Amino acid sequence: MFKKTVLSIVLATTMIFTMIGCSSSAGEAGDTAAGENKKVEIEFWYSLGGDTGNFIEAMANEFNNVQDNIKVTATYQGDYYENHAKVMAAIASNTQPDITMVEIASIAAFADAGALEALDEYAAKESAGFLDDYVTGLMSNSYWKNNLYAMPFARSTPLLYLNVDMLKANGLNPAGPKTWDELQEFARTMTKDNVYGFATPIDIWFYEALTFQNGGNILSEDGTQAIFNSKEGVEPIEFWQNMIKEGSMKMPPGEKYNAWDVARQDFVNQNVGMIFTSTGSLKGLLEQSEFEVGTAFLPAKKDFGVPTGGANLVVLSKSSDEKKQAAWEFIKYMTSTENSGLFSKATGYMPVRTSSINSAEMEAFYKEYPQFTVAINQLDYAKRRPMAPGYRELQEIIMKEIQRAVIDDTMSPQDALNTAAEEAQKLLK
Amino acid sequence: MSFWDRVKPYVMVSPSITVFLLFFIYPIMYLFFLSFTSWNLISLTKTFVGIENYVELLKSPQFHLVIKNTVLYTFLMVSISIGLALPTALWLNKRGFLHKFTQGVIFTPHIISLVSISLVWMWIMDPDYGLLNWVMGFVGIPPSKWLANPKTALISLVVVGVWKTLGYNTLVLIAGLQSIPKDIYEAAELDNASKWRNFYKITLPMLSPSLFFLLVISTIASFKVFDTINIMTQGGPIDTTNMIVFFIYQNAFDFFKIGYASAAGVLLVIFLGLMTFIHFKLLANRVHYR
Repeated sequence: MFKKTVLSIVLATTMIFTMIGCSSSAGEAGDTAAGENKKVEIEFWYSLGGDTGNFIEAMANEFNNVQDNIKVTATYQGDYYENHAKVMAAIASNTQPDITMVEIASIAAFADAGALEALDEYAAKESAGFLDDYVTGLMSNSYWKNNLYAMPFARSTPLLYLNVDMLKANGLNPAGPKTWDELQEFARTMTKDNVYGFATPIDIWFYEALTFQNGGNILSEDGTQAIFNSKEGVEPIEFWQNMIKEGSMKMPPGEKYNAWDVARQDFVNQNVGMIFTSTGSLKGLLEQSEFEVGTAFLPAKKDFGVPTGGANLVVLSKSSDEKKQAAWEFIKYMTSTENSGLFSKATGYMPVRTSSINSAEMEAFYKEYPQFTVAINQLDYAKRRPMAPGYRELQEIIMKEIQRAVIDDTMSPQDALNTAAEEAQKLLK
Repeated sequence: MSFWDRVKPYVMVSPSITVFLLFFIYPIMYLFFLSFTSWNLISLTKTFVGIENYVELLKSPQFHLVIKNTVLYTFLMVSISIGLALPTALWLNKRGFLHKFTQGVIFTPHIISLVSISLVWMWIMDPDYGLLNWVMGFVGIPPSKWLANPKTALISLVVVGVWKTLGYNTLVLIAGLQSIPKDIYEAAELDNASKWRNFYKITLPMLSPSLFFLLVISTIASFKVFDTINIMTQGGPIDTTNMIVFFIYQNAFDFFKIGYASAAGVLLVIFLGLMTFIHFKLLANRVHYR
C-alpha cells in the first residue's frame, strides 16, 4: 500500500512538472516573437567533432558577436552519416535545421530528394566574380542538374603522410615515394619486426583515388553506368592484396571511421611508417607525433589523382525565406577569405577561396608549415567524387566487395568487383 | 449503478490505452502501410508499389545472410546466456559474503548502458593494443582479430552480449530457486535421493517458469540486437554481423529506402510473433506452474 502511494505521488508530480514545462516554454516562445529585438534565429547542424568541432562552434559564436541581425545556434550531430540521418528524419518531422553540412558524395541524394535550396539566385546577387573566387576543384561536387546546391566548407583530399625520421633511418628519400612501385619498395624496406611500412583504411575514398591514378573512374561521366570493374578499377585491389599478402601493408582493423582512427594511431605510435589519410588530420598529427611528419601527393600510377572529400554547407529548402537569407549570410561568413584561412590553419582542411590561399597570412603560414601546401597543389589532379543519388548505398556495396577480396586472398578482385558492379547497376537505373 | 460507476473503469484505463494506441498500434499500422510504398522519408509523394518491397527482400542474398546471422546470434545468445546462468545461479544460491559479492559483480553489467559497454569492449578486443589478446598471450593462445575477422566477429558480439545479460539471468533464476519450498527437498532427503535426482526431479521443474520466462525474453531481445552492432562493427566485416534491426536502420536512415526498410520491419514483427507462438505451443505445457 505504502509503495503504491509513493508511486502515485511520484507519477503525479512528474505529470505536473511536465505540464508546467510545456506551458512555460510556450510562453517563452511567445515572448521572443513579441519582443522588440527581432533577430532571425537559425539552426546549424555540424558533423565534425573534437578540436575541429570546437573551432566551428567558436566561429558560429563569433558570427553572433559581429552582427546583430542573425543568431546562429550550432549543434554537433555526430559524424557525416549520423548527421545525414538526423537531418532527413528532422525534415520529415518538420524540425529540421536551416543550414547543415553534407558530405560531398551525398549532395546528389539530398538535392535529388528536394531537401536542398538551390543557391544560384543568392549567389547571383553577390558582386561579380563571387563564385569564381571559390576554388574550382572544390566546386565540382556542388552542382546537381545544373543548379548550385552547396558551398564548399570543410574540404579535404587524401594525403600520403610520412614518418620522415623513419624514412631517413632506412636510407630512403625523405620526400616519399612518387609511384605505386616506389610505395611498395619503400614499404618493404621499412617493414620490420612489429613495424609495417604502409597502412591505409580499406575505404571507398582511397579506392577512388587509386582508380583515378590508374586512369579509371567509378561511374561513367553522366553517373548512370558502373565502370569500376574495368582493369583500371581491379588493379588497385590487386595492388593492396599483394602488399597485404607480402606483409608490407597493414589493413587497419575496424569498420568505417574506426579503421581511420587505427591508421592514425599506428602512425603516431610509429607502428606504421606511411599512411593515407585526410588533410583534415594534418594539424592533429603534427601536434601528436614526436617525429618529423612529412606530407606528399598520393603516389601515381599512370598519373597523380585524388578525389576531394569532406563536407559542404547547404541550406534546407523547407526553411522560411527569411531564414534562408540568414543562412546564406552565415555561409558567406563561414567561407569568407579570412575565416576560410583561419579554419584551414586550425584544422588542416583546405581554404576554399583562392583569395584566401593567396593572402599574406596564409603565405606566411605555408612558409612555416610547407606540409599544408601539398594538399592545395594536389588539387590540380583532383577529380570530383561520383554524383548519383544512390551513391551512398553503392559505396557500401563496393567497400564490402573490396574488403572481401582483401581479407580473403583466394577471392579474385575481378570477381568481387563484378558482383559489386552488378548490384550497383540496379541502384543506378 | 450510477453512470459514473459504469464509466469510471474506462476513464481510469484511458491514459494507458491512449499511449498504447498512439505509440504501438498506430506505428505498427503505419509501418504496414509504408511497407507497400516507395518513399525516401521527405518527398511528399509515397508511391504505392504493392508487394514489390517484399519480393525484393526475399530475393536479396544480403537479406538471407542477415536472417541467417540473426538466427545464429539469437541461438548462441539464448543457449549460452541461459546455459551459463543456471550453474551460476545454483552456485550463488547460498548465504555468505563471497556469494553476495559475486552476485553483485556479475549483475553490474546489466545496469551499465550498452553503448558504454560496447566502447569498452572494443578497446578490450582491439587486435593490437587490446587487453584480451594480452591476457590470452599469457595462456599461450595466439592473438585473434576478434571484431575485425569475419570468422570471429559474430562470436565476439555474443561474448559481449552474454557478459551483459548473464547477471540478470542469474538473478531471475536465483529468485526462482529461492521460491522453491524447502519441504520438498526435505522430503527427498528422507528418501535418500541423490543430488542429481534432486536437481532433475525437483529443481528443474520448479524452476521451469523462470527458465521459460528467460527463454522468451532473451529470444526477443537477441533478435532485436542493435546497439553493439552499430557501435562495434557497423554490420561488418563483409556483413558477417549485419542483423535485422541494423539492416532496417541502415536501409531507412543511411540509404533512405523507407518502404524497403518497413517491409523488413513487418517481417521482423511476424518472425517474432511466430517465434513466441512456437515457444508457447511447444513448451508452455511443460512449464510447471504452482
